[in-house]
Formats: sequence, C-alpha cells, structure tokens
Amino acid sequence: MIRITLAQMRRSVGRLTAAGIAIVIGTAFVAATLLAGDVLKRASYDSVAAAYADATLAVVVTDPYSAPESLTAEEVDALGDVDGVQAVAGRQNAYLTLGSGTSQVFQPAIGVGPDPALQPLTVTEGRFPGSAVEVALPASTLELLNASVGGTVEQQVETFVPDPDDEDGGEWVSSTQDLTVTGVVDDPYGAFATQGGAAVLTDEALEETLEHNNDSEKIFSTVLVLAEPGADVAQVRAAVEAEVADGYEVLTKDEAAASAISSLTSGANVLTSVILGFAAISLLVAALVISNTFQVLVAQRTRVLALLRCVGATKAQLRASVALEALILGIVSSVAGFVLGAGLVQVALVVVGRMDVGIPVPGTIAVTVASLLWPVLIGTAVTVVASLVPARAATRVAPLAALRPADAPALTGRAGKLRGAASLLLVVGGTVALVGALLLSRRGGGNVEIALVIGIAGGAVSFVGILLGAVFWLPGVVSRIGAVLARSGVSARLAAANTGRNPRRTAATSTALLIGVTLVAMMSVGAATARTSLTGTLDDTYPVDVSIGSQTWDETEERNAALPAATLAEVDELDGVAHVTRLESTDADLVVGESETTATVRGVSAADAADAVRASELFSELDDDTILLPWNVGYGEITDGATVTVTGPDGERELTVREVDVPGYAALVTPATLAALDTSTVVDHAWVRLVDLDATTDTVTDIRGVFSDTAVEISGAAVERATMQEIIDTFLAVIVGLLAIAVIIALIGVANTLALSVIERRRESATLRAIGLSRRQLRATLAVEGMLIAGVGALLGVLLGLVYGWLGSVIALGTFADVTLTVPWRDLTLVLVVALAAGLAASVLPARTAARTSPVEALAVE
Amino acid sequence: MHGAHSTLEIFVDTTVYRPDQPDAGTSPAVRARALTKLYGRGEGTVRALDGVDVDFAAGRFTAIMGPSGSGKSTLMHLLAGLDTASSGQAFIGDTDVTQLNDNELTGLRRDRVGFVFQSFNLLPMFTAEQNITLPVTLAGAKVDAATKEWLGTLVETLGLSERLAHRPSELSGGQQQRVAIARALIARPEVVFADEPTGNLDSRSGAEVLSFLRRSVRELGRTIIMVTHDPAAAAYADRVVLIADGRIAGDIADPTPESVLAGLDALRTFESTAQGTQSQVAGR
Repeated sequence: MIRITLAQMRRSVGRLTAAGIAIVIGTAFVAATLLAGDVLKRASYDSVAAAYADATLAVVVTDPYSAPESLTAEEVDALGDVDGVQAVAGRQNAYLTLGSGTSQVFQPAIGVGPDPALQPLTVTEGRFPGSAVEVALPASTLELLNASVGGTVEQQVETFVPDPDDEDGGEWVSSTQDLTVTGVVDDPYGAFATQGGAAVLTDEALEETLEHNNDSEKIFSTVLVLAEPGADVAQVRAAVEAEVADGYEVLTKDEAAASAISSLTSGANVLTSVILGFAAISLLVAALVISNTFQVLVAQRTRVLALLRCVGATKAQLRASVALEALILGIVSSVAGFVLGAGLVQVALVVVGRMDVGIPVPGTIAVTVASLLWPVLIGTAVTVVASLVPARAATRVAPLAALRPADAPALTGRAGKLRGAASLLLVVGGTVALVGALLLSRRGGGNVEIALVIGIAGGAVSFVGILLGAVFWLPGVVSRIGAVLARSGVSARLAAANTGRNPRRTAATSTALLIGVTLVAMMSVGAATARTSLTGTLDDTYPVDVSIGSQTWDETEERNAALPAATLAEVDELDGVAHVTRLESTDADLVVGESETTATVRGVSAADAADAVRASELFSELDDDTILLPWNVGYGEITDGATVTVTGPDGERELTVREVDVPGYAALVTPATLAALDTSTVVDHAWVRLVDLDATTDTVTDIRGVFSDTAVEISGAAVERATMQEIIDTFLAVIVGLLAIAVIIALIGVANTLALSVIERRRESATLRAIGLSRRQLRATLAVEGMLIAGVGALLGVLLGLVYGWLGSVIALGTFADVTLTVPWRDLTLVLVVALAAGLAASVLPARTAARTSPVEALAVE
Repeated sequence: MHGAHSTLEIFVDTTVYRPDQPDAGTSPAVRARALTKLYGRGEGTVRALDGVDVDFAAGRFTAIMGPSGSGKSTLMHLLAGLDTASSGQAFIGDTDVTQLNDNELTGLRRDRVGFVFQSFNLLPMFTAEQNITLPVTLAGAKVDAATKEWLGTLVETLGLSERLAHRPSELSGGQQQRVAIARALIARPEVVFADEPTGNLDSRSGAEVLSFLRRSVRELGRTIIMVTHDPAAAAYADRVVLIADGRIAGDIADPTPESVLAGLDALRTFESTAQGTQSQVAGR
C-alpha cells in the first residue's frame, strides 16, 4: 500500500507541492516566531550576564521590601574575608555629566574594581584609570565629546554647600573638574548597551562622585564575588550566604542573570504568544487549502481508488493511504518550513548585526529541540487533520466506479445537516454573547474588561459558525455576483458557471481568503473608529489644536523668555496653519475670601482667542472685568460668579470669575487687564489653529521643525492626535503585516483551486477550444474565475470585518469615548483591489496551462 | 509499397454525383492535398498521414473508415484545423487551414466548422439550450430571430423540444449526443466533423443519432464527415473513404453494411500483404 501511496504522490507531485507551500509558509511563520523569541531572550540574557563579568557568585536583593537595609561598604568588605573568596566588588552605578567644548554627555560610570575578573568592560586602547583625575570612556562618548586618549574632558560636579542662613539649609554649587582620558573601553557583551556604554573611574573617584551627587549613605544593590581558583563553589556560597542579611540572596552568575531576565522577558513572551496567535490563523488557512487539495486529489483518483477496491483494498487501507500521503506531505513541508523560517531569522540576524543597533545581537540562531519540534509537529498535525475529511471521501468510492465511463467525477458534496446545525448554533450563540457584551459595556463601570472578554469570545464563536456555514451561503453569493458578471461576455459567463459547479470547493477557497480579509478589515475599521472616537474626545479636552509655550527661563527678568517674533511669523506662514494667537502672561495671586492661590494669568482679547479655538463661544464672556478660570486653577474653591482679587507684580484688580474649559493651567484676562497687573509682559505663549484637523501629523512636524532651535513645549489636541495616530498606525501596520501571511496562503489556495480546476476540466477546455473559444477567451475565463472567488471572499470579509470592527470598537471604547463608527473607505477599497489583483495573478499560471490545451484533446477518450 | 497501392487502384476516386441533389458535388467542401503528418523524429518517426489527396463533396455525408492507427483520426484533426500538418494542404472551402494561425483557426472552428465528439463533451454546468447556442455566444453574437428559428428547426428535427432546460447529467447518452449535433449545426457550418459519434451509445441510440446525421444532410443540406470504425454506422453515409497506414486505401459509394465489410476485408488482405513492405519502411 505504501508503494501505491508513493506512486500516487509522484503522479500528483505538482498539486502536492502547491498545497505544501501553504504549510511551508505557515510552519515557517511558527518557526521564525519561536526562533526570534529565543534570539531576543538570548540577547537580553547575554547582556544581563555580561554585567556580572566573570563573577562566581552574585549577592542580589531578592525582595527589596523586606531587605532591612542595603549592604554597606563594611559588609561588602567583610565578604572579602570569607574563606575561598578571592575578591568582591560592590556594584554601584554613578552618573557623570561630561563636557568638552559645547558638547555634553550624560554617562553612567562604574569603578575599576578590585579584580579584572569582576570588570565587565575591557580596554581596547590605553589603560584603565589609575588616579582620581583619570577616566576611561567608550569610543562613542569620545567621539561625541571630540576627545581622544591622552586628552581631557570636563566633569561637571554639583556640590551642596551648607549655609545655615539659607532657608533651604544650603545651596547647590556647580563646578567642573578636568579628567584625563586614559583609555577606550569596550562593552563586548552589551552589559551597558541600553545606557549607551559606561565610563570607568577609579573606585575612589567613583565614590567621590557618588558622594557629590548623593549625600545619603553609600549602598550596594549587587555585590559580585570571585571565588579563589579551585575553591568549592558550593562551600563558598554557603559561607557567603551565612554572612549576608535577610532579603539578600546569593546566586551563581547564571542564576542571577536568569532571575534578572525573567522579569525582562515576560513581555517578550507575551509578544511571542500574540504573534503565535497570528501564526495559528495562518495555519488554519493553510489547513483549508490542504483540505481542498486533498479533496480534489481524491476526486481525481476516483478510478484508481475504485480499481484498488475492486482488487481487494479495504476502506481502512484507502483511508490510511490518504492519511499517509498527508503525513509525508506534512513532514516534508514542515521541515522545509522550519528551514525557511530559520533561514529568514538568520538573514535578519546578519542584517541587524551589520547595522549598529547598539545591542549585541547573537550572530547565529540557536536551534533548540522545542523550536524545531513544535513547528514540525504542528505543521504535520495540521496537514494530517486537514486530510481526514478527504480521506473519508476516499473510502466512499464504490468499487463499481472503476467500471463506469470516465466522466469527470461529479462532486456534488451535499453539506451535512450536522454542520448546518452546528454553524447555526455557533452564530446564534456568538451573536447573543456579542449583544450581551455590548449591553454590559454600555452600563460602564468596571465591566468593560469582562465585556471585552465576552465580546472577543462571542466574536470568535460566531465567526467560526459563519465559516462552518460558508458552504451553505457562500456559493449562492458567488453565483449571484457571477450572474451579474455573466452579462459582460462569454468568458465571464463560463467563469460564473464554473464557480457554481463545485460549491464546496468554491466555498472553502473563498473562506480561506475571507478569514484573513475579515481580520484585516476588522482591525482597520477598529483603528479608524478608535482614531475618530478618541480624537473627538481629545477635541473636548483640548480646545486648542496646538499650544506652544516658552521653556527658556529669562534669568534677569525672572520670567519665561519671549517666543521669538520671527519664529512665530514663520508658524503663521506654514501650510495647514489657520491662525496664531499670541499670549502674554504674568504670575498673579488670586484671593477669594479665605482661599488664595497663585496662577499664571494670560492676556488675550475675546476675538483673538475665539479665532484660536474651535469652540469660539468659550470666550464670549471675556471682558476687562472678568477672569476666565479653568476648573483646575480654582480647584473648585473659586467658583463661577465669585469676585476675585488678582494681584500681579505691578497692580491689583477685582475681577468676576467665569469658570470655563479653557486650555492649559492658566487663567485668562483681556490684554488691558493684564497690563494693569504687569507692565512688562512678553509673548511667551501661542495658540495655533490648524486648517484641517485630519491632516495634523505633517503640520505638527512642521511646527516642531520651526522651533527646533528654541526650547518650547508643544502640546494640544493636534499633537496628541498626531502621536496617537502614529501609535494606531504602527499597531495597525504590524497586525496587518502579520495577517498578510494568512492572506498570502489563502491566495496560494486560490491559485491551487484554479490549477486543479484546469486539470479537471482539461477536456472541457479542449471542447471549448474546438468549438471556437479563443486562447485569450479561455485565459480570461480563468482570470474572471480567480477574481470572482477572491473578490467574493474579500468582499464578504470586508463586510464581516466592518461588523466585527464596529462591535469591537463600541465594546472597547464605548465607556470613555463617544464611538463614531467610521468606515476606512480607502483601506477597505485597497483590500478589495489587492484581493482582485491577487485573484487575477493567481489565475495566470493555471490559465497558461489551460490555454496550452490542444483542442484535439476534446476528442480523446480516456 | 507501390505494388500494394496499385492493387487497390479500382477503389480510388469514385465520387458519386447524385442527380437528386443538384448543388451537391459542384465544388468540394473539404479537400486534402498531399497532406502529411509525422510524429517523432529521426529513427522513431511515424508517418501517421502520408501524402493524402482526397475531396469531400458539399452536401454529403461521408464516412472515413479504417482500422485503429490507420490515420483516420489524424486526417480529421488536420482537416478541421485541430492539429498542424507536417506538410501538404487542407482546405475548407477555399481556405487553406494549414496556413492559419491559432486565432484564425479558432474563428474558423467557431464559424465554419462543427464538431460532434464520441464522449458528447457537453458543458455540465449549462442547460441543453445553453450548450446548443454556445458557438453563437462564443462569437459574441446575440441569439437573434434567425438563429432562434434555426434552433427551433434543429430542436424539432432532433426531438429535443422537451429537453432544452435540462442539464447534460439529466439526459440520456443519445439525447446528449443529439444536443451535441444541434450544437455542431447551430452556426450553420460549412462542414461538421463527427468523431465516432456512436462510440459511447447503445445500438438503438446510435442508430437514432446516425439517422439524425443523415437527415441533417438530406433535409437541412449540411455537409458531414464522420470518422468511425463501425461498418453499420458507415453504411448510413453517402460515401465511405477507407484509410490504412496513413494513405487512402479505398472509396465506396452508396455503402451498405455488406459493401463496407467487403471493403474492410479487402483492406485486411491489403494489410497482411503490406506487412512485409511496412517492415521494410521501418528498416529504412
């Protein structure tokens, strides 16, 4: 039987290859995810472990809350006297502010340490520092400071000088100290990669720096212990353990690194799981493609199978034969998929390794048993499971079929009642859950998370139901749309008729595409809805599109420096900027009865302010005798209608309070009122209204560019919106990218189905050619067929995605934003166009095969 | 080879002109001139058709007969423009089909030639009527009044009136073949080629189909060339062309099953006598 199976596989090698590609891609996805996850873990492990240098043991805080106090210098020294310990090094990180000329670098620094084995950094040029006025620096820092070995850099030192007369008890004084650069240090394993490398000082200089920066007692969070050569590690460990306080733990270097990293990588693990979820979707789609292929293979082999039954093969043998075929295909494809995935990750490593990303990346992937076995097992299992239904179909072939005339096997494939019932049950159940989740989220409160979980479950269940039932309704949709198309010409008419011939296969092929497209559409609808809904909420929070505040302190005037008039004029000129309102300000005391507060008071005319905001009625009440107070200035104590005494540097006014939602933490008065409070104000703030809030990103970038040389704070709805848009867009791009793999597999399925149809309809194609169908018409028929199958899958996917995306948005966002259901027309159209183009592309090869069919074959009798 | 050929000279070119069909035979509908088809190359070259000259008169029902491998199917393929000739010419009317490119051939098959296949070759997803009108649809033409009238005539003649809305799977073999005949005739082609049209039918349906073919020649004035190996089927034709070893080996006018059988017997004798020479040819 095995020989027969293999012989049959040889005959169908082309079909099997096409189906195998689906599994190859799916498995490669899984393998690449697992391997990349491993690489991430290893890179962070290497980096963490590198900080421990060649230490034998590390004393670390395991419970920062119960550790009574940190290890002191004496306690650290005491550890050095433990038997078998060669050296100990308390790990302290200091931060240096280094300068040279105009450049300044903020640099972590560590001590040389008592033993080279406990030093994670190496010297590549020169030597480690030997005195308190020497330093060794990473090459990148030297470059930034434009310094070299033998030269000097300036260290800025802040010293607290006690002064009993000062109300703060003293004063911080800045001074500088010259340090001679003695060497260039390298961080071969990236112990400090995330901090931009580390400088090395002598231990004394490091302590001094720490004392300067921090007047509290010197503490050590980690102590590295180097055992004497040949000492028994377990004994040394026990001895050190006896010495340290509670809350500390003595770990070997590996244990310490592993424990430090477990917290770091839990995030990476979550990421890996999420990506594996997408890989699962790809594999599900691949399973549909495989199942389809095997169904056709069985149909094509009806005569052979019947012949085998005639000569005595049992049903079980036939089933086993198909399953064996799937097993072989699964193993071969999965292994190929693993190799492909591993290759991709390896290529990525090489590319990343060439680019300087700052973090040392392993040069090669490490294939573990798990990262090899899982993808291969999963890929094989998916293939075998997908072949079970076709395998059962193989057993249904009657021995008599061998004797019937060799007409194309009619696969009417009546869908079972069980399937229909299950589908209906799932759809109804899922919909009920979705509606329930919707109601729950409407009630708000802490129910949102529960509602989300129920909603996701309901969505998933109903979607599975829809997919299960696809065979009942999808062919109908295809034939309706096909009927419309059929009027356009004979090719379309043939194509439409052809898609209706095997409803089950058409349904399965379309469904494979529908899955990916639904998810893509859902994500893009969700993203668009989130975007508009959240920006609606933002508009309410920030009435001003962009708010620019001066951040430069004018020492002499003791106020924020003015925003340069020329720069503001430049903003005025920008495309996309509708209006710039300039505001002057002063600090004033606000007194109402007993309550007193200090606030920034800004001057703006009602008309000018109204031009700056979208809700212009906000400022209608502003006149020379009023002060507009945002709630957060008055803190509810200064209420609407109260009379407040406002005292500025140069004057005092009695003003009536109007509480409004004005932007920023500042009160507003008219310019005349402001002048009465302070005679020397400058323009230190500006409000900018943009022409189009939907095209904010570019304008915000432009404004940032104008102020690149001036210290300002740029905020506001447009800025928030731009930032949020970026986050949503990135998120969407990543998800769509991951789902694209499922879509690609589905398109392979479309090509595969078309190719199989071409083979099945070989004689029909020849007949059509014989009675006058041109090659071009035949190719067009296949093209229309491909586009019809892909287009319907995509169209239905888009519709389903719309529904799910909207429902999801309402459930997820309903409590904190007014959800405005948004249709991302551009994205959805793009999805449809891509699907149609891909359907067309998928038809190219099969159509060429079909067009090569000689009309003579119509006359051939099998 | 020459000697063997000359013994059968008496059969050659005995086209019968029928007085009861005035337009018949005035000009041949289909002609072959030195038509040759080679398969393979070098040592293994097979001469499937070896310089065939033959005329098929318009308005006639001609059968091509011969043992399997004789080249009768190849001759039909070349005449119908389904396959390309190695050398020589094949004419439909005044058109040399050997000179046409694929698109021109497609147009020729669509507008000027009809086919009836052994396995019917109906499109399973279309109804009988849709199958019949397919060549018209393929030409991009609407089914106009004239076509409808012609369709009515065909359907009535072929007894398909009750069956037009049925799909092929709902029709018997004989009905399917009658649909195929209607399809072949719908575009009023200059010639219809039928390849073993009764090969997949029981004898009663076969007889029915053959009489329909004959009626469409006699009553509807069509030209039919039928390839068959069944003497009883060939007897329905007006003329039988015998072919053997890629050459015309005989010609029987007004055949009866008996005269066809006699012709075939002669052919077998010819074959056995020719066997020696054939091995010589192969050895050359």
